[in-house]
Amino acid sequence: MSQVEKRAGLLRRTSSSKKPLKEKVVLMYDEIFAKEDPAKNNPRFWDELFLMKVNLEYLESKLESVDGEEVQRIQDNINSLFHHCVQALGEEHQIKVVNALQTLCALFRGVHQKNKSASGFDIINMLMGFDKAEQRMKDLMERLDSLLCGDGSESLKSLCLKLLLCLVTVTDNISQNTILEYVMINSIFEAILQILSDVSSRGQHGYDAVVLLALLVNYRKYESVNPYIVKLSIVDDEPTLDGMGMVVHQALTEYNRQYKDKEEENQGGFFSTLTSMVGSMFIADADEKLSVQTNEAILLALYEAVHLNRNFITVLAQSHPEIDIATTPTPPTRPHPQHHLAPLMNNPELPLDPNLQTSNLLITFLKYASIVMQDTKDEHRLNSARLCLIILTCIAEDQYADAFLHDDNMNFRVNLHRMPMRHRKKAVDKNIPSRPLVCAVLDLMVEFIVTHMMKDFPMDLYLRCVQIIHKLLCYQKKCRIRLHYTWRELWSALINLLKFLLSNETTLLAKHNIFHLALLVVNLFNMFITYGDTFLPTSNSYDELYYEIVRMHQVFDNLYCMVLRVSTNTGQWKEAASKVTHALVNVRAIINHFNPKIESYAAVNHISQLSEEQVLEVVRSNYDTLTLKLQDGLDQFERYSEQPKEAAFFKELVRSISLNVRKNVSLNTLSQDVLLKEFSTIS
Amino acid sequence: CNYFHSSPSLSVCSSPSLSLPSTPSSSSCPAPGPAPSGTPPLGVISEGPGELSLVIDAEVAQRACQEVLQKVDVGGSQNGAGPEPALSVTIVKPAQIQIREVEDDPGSVKSARRRQRHNPSKQSWLLRLFESKLFDVSMAISYLHNSKEPGVQAYIGNRLFSFPHDDVDFYLPQLLNMYIHMDEDVGDAIKPYVVHRCRQSISFSLQCAWLLGAYSSDMHISTQRHSRGTKLRKLILSDELKPAGARARRDPLALTPFCPAVSGSGEHGLSPSKRTHQRSKSDATVSISLSSNLKRTASNPKVESSQDEVGCHTTKDRPVRLAPQREFIKSLMGIGKRLATLPTKEQKTQRLISELSLLNHKLPARVWLPTAAFDHHVVRVPHTQAVVLNSKDKAPYLIYVEVLECENFETSSVPIRIPENRIRSTRSVENLPDCGMTAEQRAGSFSTVPNYDNDDEAWSVDDIGELQVELPELHTNSCDNISQFSVDSITSLESKEPVFIAAGDIRRRLSEQLAQTPTTFKRDPEDPSAVALKEPWEEKVRRIREGSPYGHLPNWRLLSVIVKCGDDLRQELLAFQVLQQLQSIWEQERVPLWIKPYKILVLSADSGMIEPVVNAVSLHQVKKHSQLSLLDYFLQEHGSPTTEAFLSAQRNFVQSCAGYSLICYLLQVKDRHNGNILLDAEGHIIHIDFGFILSSSPKNLGFETSAFKLTTEFVDVMGGPDGDMFNYYKMLMLQGLIAARKHMDRVLQIVEIMQQGSQLPCFHGSSTMRGLKERFHMSLTEEQLQLLVDQLVDGSMRSLTTKLYDGFQYLTNGIM
Repeated sequence: MSQVEKRAGLLRRTSSSKKPLKEKVVLMYDEIFAKEDPAKNNPRFWDELFLMKVNLEYLESKLESVDGEEVQRIQDNINSLFHHCVQALGEEHQIKVVNALQTLCALFRGVHQKNKSASGFDIINMLMGFDKAEQRMKDLMERLDSLLCGDGSESLKSLCLKLLLCLVTVTDNISQNTILEYVMINSIFEAILQILSDVSSRGQHGYDAVVLLALLVNYRKYESVNPYIVKLSIVDDEPTLDGMGMVVHQALTEYNRQYKDKEEENQGGFFSTLTSMVGSMFIADADEKLSVQTNEAILLALYEAVHLNRNFITVLAQSHPEIDIATTPTPPTRPHPQHHLAPLMNNPELPLDPNLQTSNLLITFLKYASIVMQDTKDEHRLNSARLCLIILTCIAEDQYADAFLHDDNMNFRVNLHRMPMRHRKKAVDKNIPSRPLVCAVLDLMVEFIVTHMMKDFPMDLYLRCVQIIHKLLCYQKKCRIRLHYTWRELWSALINLLKFLLSNETTLLAKHNIFHLALLVVNLFNMFITYGDTFLPTSNSYDELYYEIVRMHQVFDNLYCMVLRVSTNTGQWKEAASKVTHALVNVRAIINHFNPKIESYAAVNHISQLSEEQVLEVVRSNYDTLTLKLQDGLDQFERYSEQPKEAAFFKELVRSISLNVRKNVSLNTLSQDVLLKEFSTIS
Repeated sequence: CNYFHSSPSLSVCSSPSLSLPSTPSSSSCPAPGPAPSGTPPLGVISEGPGELSLVIDAEVAQRACQEVLQKVDVGGSQNGAGPEPALSVTIVKPAQIQIREVEDDPGSVKSARRRQRHNPSKQSWLLRLFESKLFDVSMAISYLHNSKEPGVQAYIGNRLFSFPHDDVDFYLPQLLNMYIHMDEDVGDAIKPYVVHRCRQSISFSLQCAWLLGAYSSDMHISTQRHSRGTKLRKLILSDELKPAGARARRDPLALTPFCPAVSGSGEHGLSPSKRTHQRSKSDATVSISLSSNLKRTASNPKVESSQDEVGCHTTKDRPVRLAPQREFIKSLMGIGKRLATLPTKEQKTQRLISELSLLNHKLPARVWLPTAAFDHHVVRVPHTQAVVLNSKDKAPYLIYVEVLECENFETSSVPIRIPENRIRSTRSVENLPDCGMTAEQRAGSFSTVPNYDNDDEAWSVDDIGELQVELPELHTNSCDNISQFSVDSITSLESKEPVFIAAGDIRRRLSEQLAQTPTTFKRDPEDPSAVALKEPWEEKVRRIREGSPYGHLPNWRLLSVIVKCGDDLRQELLAFQVLQQLQSIWEQERVPLWIKPYKILVLSADSGMIEPVVNAVSLHQVKKHSQLSLLDYFLQEHGSPTTEAFLSAQRNFVQSCAGYSLICYLLQVKDRHNGNILLDAEGHIIHIDFGFILSSSPKNLGFETSAFKLTTEFVDVMGGPDGDMFNYYKMLMLQGLIAARKHMDRVLQIVEIMQQGSQLPCFHGSSTMRGLKERFHMSLTEEQLQLLVDQLVDGSMRSLTTKLYDGFQYLTNGIM
């Protein structure tokens, strides 16, 4: 019996629990659902109730089965139950606190389950009663706050967070959860921060705390003043922010590790031989295998921190030797994690591993993004990829972040994951040079550009991608940072992208404004052409730019023909296309200037095929007769703003996260056995 | 008895008017076993951990001194109640004095000191000497070392209290080495002073503890554990030596910063906004285990004041005084140890940066760099600037440290933490001129001559503007700036015809600007320090200041320090002391020799810190990167031979060459390859690395037999062997040697005392001191000395071994 229950967990609904005879607690529940005040006959009714082991299934199912009219009759008793739950949270007897917390969970869930369509006010009325709701919720939040901040049992704290997560996710759309109004008024923000700032409590509850915070921040984000947004944006306490960063870091690292494990699993064994035999046929399958559940909640938390809190940017670059993560794992449900943490805290030296790479949140995030962005077919992964790019957009706009991205003293090797593709070999990981982090960001962008030219074209991801590159270039231009990057790879990726747009014009135009993307791409070239002197690393690189343009002139020629055609016709794309024709003026000037020169050079020297060096020579000696037009606004960009453009995305994202969290909360709740064991020793 | 030769006390004793305490008591010389161990003899000022009622200042010390003297003077004869009967016995031992007298060499060139001491007065000459103004720390140390009489030792022990702290501090290694290795009486005489100073000063306490540890390390492990030095070290580190709780003198100072009402947060105007909770252990604590003592309490003024408040009320619970600094040093050493295990320079560098960034979490704190000359608190380590230095198996590294100067680092309040990103103009996007090219200028450059002056002007943007601390609202600022740019270009375009630029101009500007950027060394992962060291110090300070959240504070300073882990710096410290002594001798004698002693901090027998010489590159680097001869390099850097700049650089070169030639000769500094000789921006040479001095030389290869390094390149810079400057060089050496000889004792004493109980290679063999003394050539006349100098110079110039040695270094270590 106990074995079964242990497995079942507390909030989990076991399908068919045989009950030969009714438990006492069930009888007591029945009394509550009767009309009479249960305390009438038994003054110690409530005291006794919270000493009983909670039967959640029964309580929840009971709540669900209540009919509309019945509700009226038993509302007083339910209000009373809620009231006594809140009171029991202040009890010294920990068993009572545990039972009260779980009962509250059941109450919130049961009532919402039953009344999916009901307005928030009805639910509040049913649970607490209108007139008393404010006081009840105030008490509840205060009790939870003191439990979370106190020196009490860790399991209890964990349960408090579960209750809060349960409350926050009872509705699919968080903004319709009217009870949260009280959570806004009675803030538990400080408690969350405290959990994050402390190493040991963070190890155990950090994950839940961060997810809770991310969700709370999204409550009626666009409609009202959310105090959690305000508070999060002004946090400047570094240990706390760092703690938040660590939680995110650990979660992402864990994901990366799992992915890598699976990848290695797949590479070994017969599966790999099979795939290599049958060719790329099975790659899709392998990918399927590789897909690890993405963690949108954590990503959302990272986004909110980066977006709202300017101090958080420093956390991104905060280095941690990777070992940190391995020794303080995330799982919050470990019975006594203190024991595992203790040696770490006493141990004065970090474990020494020469192979250890120093890492930081940004590197881990880039690796994560490289995995997530590989495959965007799945809805969750698409969302994650989009969110990753949004986060990178925010980072690329931040000056401090830009400064450390470009810091010559901070060099790292970042192993990005690359999609296995037919036409290229898998890059050898080991030989990546140690470079400023911005190189990894650019690599990631280039990687995305070359790997997503497909029928189901992720237009908005491409736009974000190109804009991120543009923002980085603007920074480099302004600060005259001459990054030693192989720009050629970027140029050729961009030209290939244009080529793809051209060859799929008709299919793409049905869904997207490809001219906008083309304009952004052409303007990246214009940045290089007109401002290359301010940020290119060598004189040669400017020549190479011209070489690349001239070499691929057909793409630009075709693009020009196409946009010219569209802009001369009347139609919805007329204006967009004509912008591209204007933007192409310098590229065309270059092509028209150098092509004849190169041809005549070949003719004069009787060479059919000019070598790269020869072309470069022609380029070098013919700059002076070329005149370019200065285009305005090349170095300006629209700053990211969440509203109104991204609001819909975030609403959907939060909905999906809510569903997910709700599901997981019920699955991972502490088993009562563990709690009982703990409290039998405490009390 | 050997020592007596050189001791100043000798000459004193030789005085014919030797009538010291020739009171009847002198007859009591056979008195047995003076000064029973355990009880302090002779009314020595005593300060144990328990007794702290007494305020000791110069006056008290003076009184104590006189007491001792009186007792000695009066002897056991008149005293009725002699609690210290041993007193009278000790000081007068005519027999001994006579011996000394005999041994004394009256013909030697003793300084003026002696004449002073020829005091015909009836009164004790010793008393007269001790009380004379000429009696300085140097003499005191010398007496302490050489005198066998507990009376004298006790007197000097007391007398130490009346010397300026700085003067005594110079001899701290000597004092402590005597404490460790000499007999009980000397130890008892020294201890009260040391204990007293420890009570007063945290930095002195730690200094003592470190030195005691380092100089005890050569003892056998079994004796070491019970040695006096180890015990004193433990006592100091136990932190029981605190200033007395209610010491009136300190109170006004101590109370102000602790008083909660003061709460220094306001004065910076940067106080972090609301803190909703207490700062607690962060990851840094866990991972690098800075104990919570190094907690950066100041950032939360409430926490600190409340802590200290508690401390004020219940004196016992005062926060541990020494812990923060010890933890700081410990974590720096820990980093060095961990770095040493990593195989590549690149990994070391990365690890260093990440470790330091964690260290930053604990700053600001009440910690300081002991190599600095002023009081300060360390507020930040610009971790990305740190570099790993080149070393085969160890991992010495150079860090830059931002500090805020303060009145007194023990009592001034620790600066408040300013978050890293409070200043955002790191590369100052806002203020950077767009290469002097707005759209209009860009356009202009097409038709007219590019206006590069404009560029220069724009680069000299007022620093203060850039250093402004950003307020939170400034988040929008950057965006304003961007839009401002856009407004510029848009208006300029709308009002005019389309603007054209020449592709050739863009290309030309690119190559010109690439050429203009100051030549830095190419970043080489195998030699990460080269780039960092090449950057001029002023430039580096400016750059780091710009990027620091503390940079705007007027008392902001940048320091740098080399952390050595696994290296014994005790010889370096010895060399530093000798150099400093010689420097002050030459200054006193007005000989314009130039040397640069750099500070050494010995933390243990195998760790320490070095103050880097700024704005100096090694001759090796000069040659490697300039590919020029030294003279040509001088011409390139300072101008043609007739210019003022060149002449002054040349003079500096000659003066420093002369200084270091003498140093190398006297100390027998070996391993003089070009990697160990620096050249600073003013033309001075600076020798570094005194790993091989006196009796030790590298690998005993027998190379490098010349007195010092004087290559033809050096001589060329001086204007050739027939030039005036070369003669000046030789003349300087002669003057320097004469001056040094005159004060030989001051140099010898430093070395001699440190030889005791030491296993350092520089003391290897039995002839170290004799050899050193001989090199001062006391017996030669000045004419003879001049000949000697000529010989030395000639010998060094013609020395094949120097060249051989350079070739050897080139082959083995790649040093040019």
